[in-house]
Amino acid sequence: MPSPPFGYHGCYLRIDVSNGSVARVPIADAVLRQFLGGSGLGAWLLIEESQSRPDALAPEAPLIFVFSPLVGSPLTTSAKFAVISKSPLTDRINDSLASSGFAIAGKRCGCDAIVILGRAASLSTLVIDDGRVRIEAVEDLRGASCPATEAAVKARLGTDYQVAAIGPAGERAVRYATISHDGRHAGRGGSGAVLGSKNLKAVAVRGTQRGEWAQPRALADYSKALSKRSFGPATAKYRELGTAANLLTFNRLGVLPTRNFQSGTFEEAPAISPEEIRQTRSRTRASCVACTIGCEHIYSLGAVLDEDKGVRLEYESLFALGSLCGVGDAGAVLRAVRLCDDLGVDTISAGGTIAFAMECVERGWLDQPWLTFGSGDAVLRAIELIGGREGVGDLLAEGSRRAAAVIGHNSIQFAPQVKGLEIPGYEPRALQTMALGFAVGARGADHNRSGAYEVDFSEKVDRRNVTVDAVRYAIETEDKAALMDSLIVCKFLRGVFEDFYSEAAEMLSLVTGWDATGDELRETARRIVHMKRQFNLQSGWTPEEDTLPDRFLDQALPNDPAATLSREQLGTLVTEYHRQRGW
Amino acid sequence: MRVEFLGIPRERAGIAELELDANTLGELLTTLERRFPALGDVVVAGCLRSSFVANLNGDRFVTDPKTRLSSRDCVLILSADAGG
Repeated sequence: MPSPPFGYHGCYLRIDVSNGSVARVPIADAVLRQFLGGSGLGAWLLIEESQSRPDALAPEAPLIFVFSPLVGSPLTTSAKFAVISKSPLTDRINDSLASSGFAIAGKRCGCDAIVILGRAASLSTLVIDDGRVRIEAVEDLRGASCPATEAAVKARLGTDYQVAAIGPAGERAVRYATISHDGRHAGRGGSGAVLGSKNLKAVAVRGTQRGEWAQPRALADYSKALSKRSFGPATAKYRELGTAANLLTFNRLGVLPTRNFQSGTFEEAPAISPEEIRQTRSRTRASCVACTIGCEHIYSLGAVLDEDKGVRLEYESLFALGSLCGVGDAGAVLRAVRLCDDLGVDTISAGGTIAFAMECVERGWLDQPWLTFGSGDAVLRAIELIGGREGVGDLLAEGSRRAAAVIGHNSIQFAPQVKGLEIPGYEPRALQTMALGFAVGARGADHNRSGAYEVDFSEKVDRRNVTVDAVRYAIETEDKAALMDSLIVCKFLRGVFEDFYSEAAEMLSLVTGWDATGDELRETARRIVHMKRQFNLQSGWTPEEDTLPDRFLDQALPNDPAATLSREQLGTLVTEYHRQRGW
Repeated sequence: MRVEFLGIPRERAGIAELELDANTLGELLTTLERRFPALGDVVVAGCLRSSFVANLNGDRFVTDPKTRLSSRDCVLILSADAGG
């Protein structure tokens, strides 16, 4: 086999856990250059490996872990991996990212990606030891939480293994179950259910095959300078308050989704803000491996941080399990976040689906009188039921779109989802460039694949009345996200770069030796967005999917009459988006 | 006019809001810079650093120091990066 480019191994592992077979499949240099790694290479591999177009939870449906050329390099925030599959929640492409040691150890197994097919005979751990593969039964771990599973597998195999695991939700095919590693999650779209459908409780990796870089000295110098810049004002918010700092800002601007998107302001927002929580609880910070930002703010459940290691609190979890469910009790929100993390459940989809159910109860369409807005106990009980698929939890484990189909009464009009994926914490009527980003997203409503909210928080548009001028900005943010998710570098670095594409080209060139340019990478980003759409087209996508629920169309946001998005207006934006994409 | 700090600007200023007089955004920022030296990584030489932005009355985002202000305005100072 010819030598792969620097930064790559030039192959992927295809593992069939039904019979334990493994193949090392070469990847052409041209493919690596066209799709890089992470989400981009994952989208290409997903199409290559999904020729039979299976159901998301079928044994033959591939689940793909993808690394990137930058993994293992000294570049800050580069220890990341993507998990790609068909989503059991949306039946469209799902690419979720997570961070830390699993990325480095996985790549050291001598591959750029791991494609998992089949279904193990019993609940198992897939062990990849420097490229050698075995499957170990772990029936005794059935029902174990994500962190308990990770700890148990490491205890058995050795602490030099890095482990990605599912909790009870993944075992029970909750359609928004996560894959967890080191307390972080490949969170959205149900990749945990896909791993569970393969009867895999965990994937454990260790390896010795370090990559080499084209220009190691220049890369070290560049990395040092980038790390230094990452300590500056552009990342202060993440270091000092974390993403949860959005809460009070969004509430002040009237864009904080509240009580299933029935309002953009939450009167109890101050009580669950990080500014308030830190007054009564101890807090510590943490970073992913190889990160100099340190965005994770971990709060104690009680008065002090103890051996339970506390709760990682992000804005999205805070909004979804707080304001969206009308809960103003910080303790209840923290416990709910922790419960989701333990069970392996996406906090956004859990909060969105529970809030939707609360509104159905309020309207008398769902006979669960305990499930009311504002009740922290109800949120906790609902999450427990979802994780166990017990009682009404079995319905809510299906996500808001499928739940609406069962509940009826045309409740789909306020199920807070696009393509089945629950909407993150950005009110679309008052952030209309983001509304477009949500509507056209390949994996559904998503703030990590479209950064269009940045445009709404700028002078470029009138966020309550955007015109087709906003479309190119929305495309720019989507392209940029696609490139960041494929290189891979953390999006929290984006404010550090003055000219992201030029710097991305420099990083890639230092690692691979390619003569990459900013213009080439702009093309690469567009190609990756198109590749994701290609998978969706093969899965039955139609243009009618690129829209928002009725709630957000032709009705003003109650707290902000100026925030009205007409169906015609959104249709015009989407049509122009498709035109500019050439679709 | 009322000035409200959110997020990091609030951390630096040490207060949530105050009343000030200014004819332009630049004048306002210069006054803030003088009164709150800790705002140095938010405001420099009467301008907002690129990681921060001002908002008028919850409606319009502005960064141009020449932006005219009226006494009825409420100026929010916040992080430009709203990523979660």
